[in-house]
Formats: sequence, structure tokens, C-alpha cells
Amino acid sequence: MQVAVDGPWSPLLGRLTLDAIPYTNPILIFTFIIAATAGLVAVGSVLYFRKVGYIWREWLCSVDHKRIGVMYMILGLVMLFRGFIDGVMMRTQQAIAIGPNSPGYLGAAHGYLPPYHFDQVYSAHGTLMLIFAATPLLTGLGNIIVPLQIGARDMAFPYLNAVSLWLTVSGALLCMISLFVGEFSNATWVGLMPFSELPSNPGVGVDYWMWALQVSSIGTTFNAINIIATIVKMRAPGMGWFRIPVFTWVSMATSIIGLTAFPVLTAALCMLGLDRYIGTHFFTAGMGGNYMLYINLFWTWGHPEVYFLVLPAFGLISEIVSTFSHKSLFGYPTMIAASMGIAGVGWVVWAHHFFTMGMGPDLIGFFSAATMIVGIPTGVKAFNWLFTMFRGRITFTTPMLWAITAILLLLLGGLTGMMLSASVVDYTVHDSVFVVAHFHCMVLVIGAGIFAAVTYWWPKIFGFKLNETLGQWFFWTFVAGSLLVFIPMFQAGLDGETRRLDYLFDTSLRPLMLLEELGIGVYFVSVFFFLAMIVVSLIKREPAGQDAWGTGRSLEWLTQTPVPFYNFAVTPQVHALDEMSWRKANGLEKAQPSTYVPIHMPSSSGLPFVIGMLSFVCTFSLVWRVWWLAGASLLAVILLVIIRSFDKNEGYVLSAQTIAEMERKLNTVSVVAEQSKVLPVGGHAEAH
Amino acid sequence: MAAHNDPLAHPEVRQGSVLRYIAGFVTSGAAMYFAYVQAMGHHPVVELLEILGGALLFSLITQAALFFGLDASRAQIWKSISLILTVPLFLVIIGITVWAFASLYGRTMPDPAIMNSMSM
Amino acid sequence: MASFPKAGADTVLWNAGADAHDNISARTYGFWLYLLSDALIIAAVFATYAVLNNPMNAAGGPLGSQFLSASKGMLQTFIVLGSVLCYSLATVALKRGSKLGVSLGMIGAILLAVVFLGIGLGDLTALSAAGDGFARSGYLSCFFTLIVTHALHMGFGILWMLVMLVQVGVFGFTENVVARLLNLRMFWQFQASVWVVVYIYVYLFGGAH
Repeated sequence: MQVAVDGPWSPLLGRLTLDAIPYTNPILIFTFIIAATAGLVAVGSVLYFRKVGYIWREWLCSVDHKRIGVMYMILGLVMLFRGFIDGVMMRTQQAIAIGPNSPGYLGAAHGYLPPYHFDQVYSAHGTLMLIFAATPLLTGLGNIIVPLQIGARDMAFPYLNAVSLWLTVSGALLCMISLFVGEFSNATWVGLMPFSELPSNPGVGVDYWMWALQVSSIGTTFNAINIIATIVKMRAPGMGWFRIPVFTWVSMATSIIGLTAFPVLTAALCMLGLDRYIGTHFFTAGMGGNYMLYINLFWTWGHPEVYFLVLPAFGLISEIVSTFSHKSLFGYPTMIAASMGIAGVGWVVWAHHFFTMGMGPDLIGFFSAATMIVGIPTGVKAFNWLFTMFRGRITFTTPMLWAITAILLLLLGGLTGMMLSASVVDYTVHDSVFVVAHFHCMVLVIGAGIFAAVTYWWPKIFGFKLNETLGQWFFWTFVAGSLLVFIPMFQAGLDGETRRLDYLFDTSLRPLMLLEELGIGVYFVSVFFFLAMIVVSLIKREPAGQDAWGTGRSLEWLTQTPVPFYNFAVTPQVHALDEMSWRKANGLEKAQPSTYVPIHMPSSSGLPFVIGMLSFVCTFSLVWRVWWLAGASLLAVILLVIIRSFDKNEGYVLSAQTIAEMERKLNTVSVVAEQSKVLPVGGHAEAH
Repeated sequence: MAAHNDPLAHPEVRQGSVLRYIAGFVTSGAAMYFAYVQAMGHHPVVELLEILGGALLFSLITQAALFFGLDASRAQIWKSISLILTVPLFLVIIGITVWAFASLYGRTMPDPAIMNSMSM
Repeated sequence: MASFPKAGADTVLWNAGADAHDNISARTYGFWLYLLSDALIIAAVFATYAVLNNPMNAAGGPLGSQFLSASKGMLQTFIVLGSVLCYSLATVALKRGSKLGVSLGMIGAILLAVVFLGIGLGDLTALSAAGDGFARSGYLSCFFTLIVTHALHMGFGILWMLVMLVQVGVFGFTENVVARLLNLRMFWQFQASVWVVVYIYVYLFGGAH
């Protein structure tokens, strides 16, 4: 039943042979040395400081949403760095390989990357940045913040949350191991068709890419289920729908997109997998295949996906702008409506990614109009931010700088997006770097939102602030680098530079390419400042109080700092939107509960980690067609799920005394106001 | 809703009823049989689509109400809302894809035999 | 600046009673969300089917109208609806706390499901033997995928029912077991709804014109 593939195949090792290891490629050898050194340092330090048990118990087995969120963000950061290096490689190649007389090194005709390798670099760049950097970073932030903002103890399904994390990690591992065993896909992050089919791509690259996407999208779908169920079912008493903080509302819209769009990607990749593994003809050239169908299904997912990424960034900007303008967010109901509007309308615009497919003018008109319409709620959000800042008392802390920059980048990216929504414009710049510059501006909005949020909530989660000075140095160098790389790219696109080409024929583009390379240099400097900021802050550890910035407005600022694993000692009763501001206005923000009650917490489990690793083994064996191992690991996962269902463990109970002690240790102020009396268990819970 | 009640007292357990389930089986089955008979007759394509679509809609609604027990009650309201919000997307995926490819086929492969099949 | 309502003397800041969340509702709602995402996978496969259901994508092989039997599909529809009825009646027995009733209902559901699968997979085997397997054309690839995807869901449902037979016997009706039985009910009813759509769209509409 297996289709015939190039190269040897053995029942024991599938397609895996020693030739799969690229020991003749100097770039990869260098990469391996760096990666291996980093790995050895990491593992070595854990062993040296005898922290293996700690890491296993407290992190790898954790089902605590904050720990899982932090692990997501560490994953995202590492992948962001690797994606950045891919970007560096591309920029450098294009800075060298300009014109027919440009030099060639390391066996390439021009530049230093032969086309086949260059293709893998940009395919990896796209996949890593979108799926393994941006998504985990945003998912991590949502994981950490949403339960705190609604006054819950954890997500609705803590165990499933851990499984989502480890499935995403297994996808990232697949991308990492493709560097050293085999190769990655050269068919772009989209998976161009029929190029990704076996006749054009008989190697393992496309398989690596396909399984990495598949396994991580399962994790993301589970996470969407978790967030929606948490927001619907687990809000604190008194938190009606219109008292939910705006970031949580936006997470709801985002998760609705995630829940509904990712299944389409699953279906599309399954069909591609069937084509590559058992010889079906969904997308092949000939035998009744239709490859535009893949592109259609991919972008049916792909467009909601970009809203899945950008909506949380909008939510983060909303939180930060209102906090540092010392004003409640302008137009809260319209913000909610706009978020839901973007989620809804964003679902019907996908064909603008392939205007040039050849569909009729009626369809093109429909998609053009719909794409323009989705700019309206986005504009509503932008104006709401501006009106929030108007007549506020703005403090230009690092998060606020990032948030304002994000709004400016949104202007640039959004307006060029509106240009592209006019199909006539799109026809002329399709597949040029104008489009690349547009979406990178949008991705920079996401990046700015993430950096803003990390700086903003860091003190709440870790108990100390990040160094402001170095943070601002990081900010300015990052923004300078971004502008230097992407503004010239708009011009280059209009001048006709095609995307995804390793070699530029037109030498008049050289100044623009050199400007972009300078931008990359500035980016390197910003990375240095980022690392310096982290290291210096870790060393200095200026402790942060409960309300670290002095201006917190929403419920998460009510917890102790750093947030204990049970979040709130007693679930808070919510009285208003911006609960923290309400309590401050009434002088109640320091009030602590007068009595504590036992609380029920979920137990940690090592099973999600094991399932994640088994998924890695399964997908790795599928890539290399080692059928026995793929089957065995899949069977193991199913058996583990069944066995776990027989587990009678229902978590554990934290006694009131333990909580009281932990709270005493964390507390620096102990004002027990009259209103701090606690409603007993079994008393009225306010209807949601 | 306290966590340590008898699970069998939960509204979703109590919602099960023999009459409702048999009614669901009968109405769904009848709708399917009706559709079967109509398809065996000789209706023009568009009319057939409408009849079959109507029978399908009827069957799915009765299944939602009688088997799944979806209604506006506190126990079920969120499920009902989530379903109602998802149905348009289900239709959008299929509908827009069909529209796009009918258009594409019409412009790139103007073969009468194919055009008739795709003219849904 | 928004003015905040004043806190009164009897305003309560903390509410311990709110911790007692309804776990079963949370679990069934989460599972329902999963079923909706599954529905969208099916939608994508249906969209593919709609596009590939024409002579060009049949690549010289047969289209549904040439090999589908509406009457056999009708029989399968009644069998699957019957299986759903059996399982649903099992959950009526659950109200009484009757382990025997629940188990008998599940066994009935499993038996009918196995019959259904036998018919369906028999069809697919016959097609493959005649040289019109999943690798014959784009259309047949999609047809097989649709049927097999549904069959896989049934297969997982059967496996789940077997596990539940054991758990009902061993644990009785704990909160975990009840939540799983409720989820399984939704899953089982859902796969029948999917089959109904397949029957109408593939067997009747596709088969008739």
C-alpha cells in the first residue's frame, strides 16, 4: 500500500540511512556545533546544579497554566531566534547575489546558498516564525493571563493544557531535527502544489513540514477549546459578560477562530499526507487531482490564522494603552464588537491570497470588498486606542512605547493591506516583496504587542521588574532595525523584486538590499540588548509589589506578586469592569480575605510530556516511513489515554492553614478591611 | 451547582427520555426515507437539491432537538449558541469553495459535460 | 474618567462558594466544542468532494452515480440511527442508575455499528477489487476518504464504548464515568448526523444526477 519512493527503504529503519546526515554541508556543521553547545550547556547546568528532579516535578509535569504559559513562551523565544537567523541568512544571500557577475561561495553559483538550500531557509523561516514562534508566544500569554483576568484558579482543562504544550513542542522538535537528519521542506511554508507532491518532492522535507504543522495544529485546537470553555464556564462571581477585561474578550474571539479554522488545515494536510503516503490523487497533477483545491483549503485556514495571531496583539495593545494612559479603555463595547467582527468577516476573505488563480470577476469583487470591510473594525480599534490616549496621563514606560509603535506599524501594514485588497493592485504586486513587506509589518505589530506584554506582566509573574533602560535600548534598536529592513522592501517590491528568489538580476536594487542588510545588523544589536536586559534584570532582581506599575486596572493585578500557584487565595467577587481600579477607587485594593477555605487543585502529571515525546517519535517515524515504530508509538499514546482514564486521582486539597501560611509569606501589607469577610462555601454564587 | 452532588442528578443525565429518543429515530428516519423516495423520482437538479436540502435540514434539526437535547435551558444554552455560530462557517467553507471552483472551471475548462456537473 | 460605584457596607470582596464549579457541564461543553471543530474537518472534506465530483476528476474512472446504491445507503442509515437509539436508551437507563441497562444499550449500539461498518467496508473492498480503489482518481480518493473518516470515527466510538463497559462495571457511576458517558452520547449522535449528511449529499444527490 505504500507508494514507491526514491531511495532505499528497509523495514527496520525505513528511509533512514547515514546519508541523511548532511555532514558535508559546512553551514549545517556550524549550526550543529552551536546547537549542540547550547544543548550541552543547558543540560549540563541542570545536572551540575542538581535540578533534574526540580525541572521534572515542577515544570515538565506541571499542569499549572502559568508554568505552561512560561514554557510556551520559552519555546517561542528559542524558535523566534532560530527564525531570525533564517532571516539573516536570506538577507545576506540577497545582499551578495545581485547581478550576473555576483560572486558565489561554498559551491553556490551566486551568494553562498544554492537555490535548493535557500528555498529550505525561507520555508523554515515562515513556518517557524508563524507556527512555532508567534503562536506559542501568544498562546503562552493567553494561558498565563486569561485565568488571572477572570479570577479563575486554572484553565477549564489543565491536563489538556499540558498536552497542548507538549504536542507543540514535539512539532518544534521535528523542525529542529530536520536540520541535522534529512532536510526541511523547500516548498514554502504554504506547501505549493503540486510541487509538494511526491513526483516533485520525493525527499523527506515536505513530510517534516507537514507533520510539524499537523501535530502543532492539534495542540492549538485543544488550546482554543480550553480557552473558550474557561471563559464561558469559569469566571469569578460578579463577572458578567460586560465586565470581562478586553484581553480576555479578544482571547475569546481568537479562540473561536482557532477552533473553527484549524480543522480545515488538518483536513488539507491529511489529504496531502494521503497523497504522499498511500497514493491518492487529491492534489496531484493528473489522475483527477486538483491542486488549486489545496491552495483554497490552505488559505481557508491561512487567513483566519493571521487574525488568530493579530487579534491577541490588539488585545494586548488595548490593555497596555489604557493602563498607561491612566484611563479606562475608550469604547469597550465597540472593542468587543470589533473583535468579533474581525473574527467573523476575516473568515470570508481568504481568496485574496490567490486573486491571480483565475476565478471570475464576481468572486474577485466579493473577496476584494470583504477584505476592505474587515479594515473597518480594525480602524475602530485604532481610533479607540487614540481616544483612550487623548486626555489621559500618559507615562512612556517600555510597554507603552511598544504599544504606540504597534499602532504606528498597524497603520503602515494596514494601509498597504488595503492597497493589496484592491485586486488590480494585487495583480501587479502578487509574489513580489511588496506583499512580504506588508505582512512583515503586520507581524511586527504582533511582535511589538508581545514584547509590550512580556515587559508589562513580567513583574506580576516573576516578582521583579525588567530593567527599564536596557528595555528601552532594546526597543529603539529593534524598531530601527525593523524600519531599515522593511521600508526599503516596499520600494523593492514596487521596483519588481520577486519574492522567494535566491538571486537578483536587477543590480539597481543593490542599494535597497544593502540598506536591508544594515537593518539586519541593527537587529543583531537589539538581540544583544534583549539578552542584556534579561541577564541584568535577573541579577539585580528589584522586587515588584502587587501593583508593579502603580496603574493596574484589571483583576490580575489583585493577586500577590509573584502569583502563587493557586492564583487567588479566595476567589474574588467582581463588582465592575476594571475591578482593580474599582477597588482602588474605594481604597480596597490591599484588603485580604479574613478567613481562608480549603481549595481543590489538579495534580501534576508526567503523562502530557510522555505523550508529547511519543508524538515526536511517531511523526519522526512517519517522516522516515519506519512503519513499525510509528504504529507502536501511536498505539502507546492510545493505550496511555485509556489507562489514564482509569486513574482515580482527582487532584488534591490545599488546607486553609497552608494557604494562610503561604499568603503570610508573600504578603507585605495586611489590611483587613470590613468588607474582607468571606462568603462561605455553599453561599450564593452570583449567576453568570 | 456544587461539585459533590450525585452525578446522576445532573440535568444532562436527567434530559434523557425514551419518548424523545424514539421520536428522534422515527422523524429522522422518516425524513431520510422521504428523501430516498424523492431521489428515486425524476426531479430536475435544482429542485432535487432543494427537496434533499430541506429533508436534511429537517432531519438535522430534529436530531439536534430530540437526540442532542439542545435548547435554551441553562444546561444547554452554550452548546446551542456555539452550534448556531458554527453552522454559517460550515456553509461558507462548502459554498464559497464550490462557487470559486465553478467559476474557475467555467473559465479554464469550458467543456459542456464538466460544466453541467459543476453547475450546482 | 469613569466614575466607579461606591462600595457599600455589605459589599463582599471574596466569595469562596464560587469554587464549586460544575465539572460535568464544563467537560461536556469542552467536548461539544471539539465536536464542532470535527464538523469543520468534515466540511472541508465535503467541500473537496463537491469540487472533485465531476467527470474530469474521475480520470476515466467511475463517479458515485455509477456505483452507489441508494437503497443500501438507506439501510445503513436506519442501522446507524438504530445504533444511536440503542446508546441513547442506555443513557435513559443511566437515570435509574442501572448498570445492566446501560451495558445492554451499549452492546446493542456496538453490534449495530459493526453491521454498519461491515456493509460500508464491504462496499469499499468491492470497489478496490474492481480496480477502482482510492488511488484510481481524485474523485475516488475523496469518496474513500469521506467514508473511511466516518468509519474511523465509528471505530473510535466502538473502542470507547468497550472501555466504558469495563469502567461502568468496575467504578459504577462516578462523576468521571458519567461525564464520559455523556460525552460519548454526543459523539455517537454526532457521527450519525454526519452520516445523514453523507447519505443525502453523496448517495442521494450525487447518485441521482
